[in-house]
Amino acid sequence: MTSRLDRWADPPLLVLASLADEPKHGYAITQDVAQTMGVTLGAGTLYAVISRLEAQGLIEPLDTVDRRRPYRITMAGAEALAQQSSRMSKVASLAQARLRTGLGMAGA
Amino acid sequence: MGTPSVRRPGKARLARAALRLYPPAWRGRYGTEVLALLDDTGGGLRAALGLAWRAIPAWICPPRQLHDPEARMRASLGTVLAAGAMLAGVCLVFAQLTQLQGFRVHGSPVVAGSYAIFDVAMAVCALAAAAGGLPLWLVMLRRARREHRARETAYLMLPVVAPVAWLTTVATVARLLGGPDGVSPGVFFAVTLLGFGAAAASSAGPILAMQRLRPRGPAVQLAVRAAALATAAIVVAGVASATALTGLFLWARGFAGYHSGAVLGGYLAVVAALATTAAISARRGTRAARSS
Repeated sequence: MTSRLDRWADPPLLVLASLADEPKHGYAITQDVAQTMGVTLGAGTLYAVISRLEAQGLIEPLDTVDRRRPYRITMAGAEALAQQSSRMSKVASLAQARLRTGLGMAGA
Repeated sequence: MGTPSVRRPGKARLARAALRLYPPAWRGRYGTEVLALLDDTGGGLRAALGLAWRAIPAWICPPRQLHDPEARMRASLGTVLAAGAMLAGVCLVFAQLTQLQGFRVHGSPVVAGSYAIFDVAMAVCALAAAAGGLPLWLVMLRRARREHRARETAYLMLPVVAPVAWLTTVATVARLLGGPDGVSPGVFFAVTLLGFGAAAASSAGPILAMQRLRPRGPAVQLAVRAAALATAAIVVAGVASATALTGLFLWARGFAGYHSGAVLGGYLAVVAALATTAAISARRGTRAARSS
């Protein structure tokens, strides 16, 4: 069940969230996602996501530095991330509130 | 930005190999970055499997920013040419072993009708291939000769040289080894194999020339549209031959004794696989031609 709920951690969302504060290259994104969100992104998954996000105009490439190309979130990407995180936040708040009520009733 | 802590380039060898599975345009755009990431993370079997798995969608649905209609059309032409040449070879073997041997089912319109459809479809396929392929072939040949590119000229001459060489071989073999009942099954098998070799060489030549000369423009678009028509015709020919063959197998006892069910099954599988490959590629080529 936990693994099914892990679908919340969609790789595109994780990459957008990782790029929300500053531009990062591939290795920096995988490190950031692993450290802050506990998800390991493989090279195949990461670059499949990067190519899709770039095609959708949600991120954009910057100049390459030593074979490593940083990516920056675009305005459209920031808006998409804000909308999705707002939805997730509402669901999280609702779930926590209902869990507290449910657990309280179960304990009574 | 994070910096790599440990570099283990040796372990990235498998993943580097998996990167070769991606389309050239994808590798051209992201290959260097992925290699840098593999150098930073060490790669390994898991990364290699992940990369190999993700190569499938990269082929099926390439990212929009990597879409190159001209390259797509050339790739489509190459695939259709290779699959079409093999399918034509298979269909000609069918014709040789059925129609030309006089196998008929008297009173059944299915086999006779299938033979007629097969003949018309093969004629349409040949005409479409010639009308669409000849201008592109001439454009490439003219350019190869103008730029003194001997290798490309040789590649482009293969569709002429290989069939002529094969037909000469067939005529010589028939004269030297043929009897009143034709040639022995062993000789027929060898000649057929040589024919498939000639078909492979005939299609490989223009494919290699296209890869090196990278032609663009109206000649490529015309060839793509003609390839779509030729593919449709050869798919019809394949279906007609399969129908005729099934009819012969079911209703002509002499034929059924002459050929086994395994041959029929193998023939159907090969025709279906080649026709599907050619049809999918032709469809992608025509879509690229429309968007260019």
